[in-house]
Amino acid sequence: MFTERFLRNRRGVSLDAVERARIETAVSEVKTYPARTIMARAGEPLGQSTLLVEGIMSRYLDDRRGLRQLVAIHIPGDFLDLHAYPLEVLDHDVATLTPATVATVPHAELDRIADEMPELTRKLWFATLLDAAIHRAWLFRLGRLDAVGRVAHFLCETNSRLFSAGLSDGRRFALPLTQADIAEICGLTTVHVNRVVRVLREEGLCLFRSSLVEIADPAGLAARAQFNPAYLYIEDPDNILPSTKRPNR
Amino acid sequence: MSIDDATEPHAEPGVASAEKGLVMLDGPDGVAVTMTAEAAAATGRSLIVAAGVAQAQLSASGDAPL
Repeated sequence: MFTERFLRNRRGVSLDAVERARIETAVSEVKTYPARTIMARAGEPLGQSTLLVEGIMSRYLDDRRGLRQLVAIHIPGDFLDLHAYPLEVLDHDVATLTPATVATVPHAELDRIADEMPELTRKLWFATLLDAAIHRAWLFRLGRLDAVGRVAHFLCETNSRLFSAGLSDGRRFALPLTQADIAEICGLTTVHVNRVVRVLREEGLCLFRSSLVEIADPAGLAARAQFNPAYLYIEDPDNILPSTKRPNR
Repeated sequence: MSIDDATEPHAEPGVASAEKGLVMLDGPDGVAVTMTAEAAAATGRSLIVAAGVAQAQLSASGDAPL
């Protein structure tokens, strides 16, 4: 099932069987791409949106020297360019970071879903708002945190997102990114990231080696990152935000 | 911390360190920069000159820092 991880464990918006089946039937194509493949470029008209089934993808912007700033990463279960449905074009590029399998949903199918299934449409909207919440956290990370805090925050966030998708046990997860990728996410140099990774290890907070992250001290890492996962709207009794679930109408 | 504190000047210094022939400046807050040794030295000299000018400005006006 392509939609197995989509909105998994998100409060109030888990898909029911009918909704899941509707998205599955809307998929027109499933393809696997190599790592480091550009999937969509800024300004190109888009007639479909993409559900990431496997792998890690990114959104990024290049500066005038061609240096890349990653502005988002996407994990399995993310409907990653749902934005393109109302916008019709993207203002950034989208690429795979690892080999990635994607399911394509034509915008004409999203039109039909919007006409037929308003509650499912609201859940798709939720997915784009979740992206916006993550963007706000990325702004906070870059604006307020030092180098160790930035990397720690990224690792805490990724752990929470992967946990929600069923791809982390809460402490340990695969992260097949390079230190250069982490640098472009956190606005650092690779040398700086290399040192931060060592500091996190020496402080007993986290080990990042051979594409595997092991969080030794989740509370300590979260404190170092000033990380509060509330903005991820994960189904969690300790989550401090009020429920997003609406009463039946 | 009040809502205005984030826009106030930093009273804590950043910490510079060297690694692999480069200089890293960490903090305060969101500052995280890697520079070549030459760029770091030039930045350091520029900071010292600007700090001296800022202190002279304060002495002349008799004001507390903004």
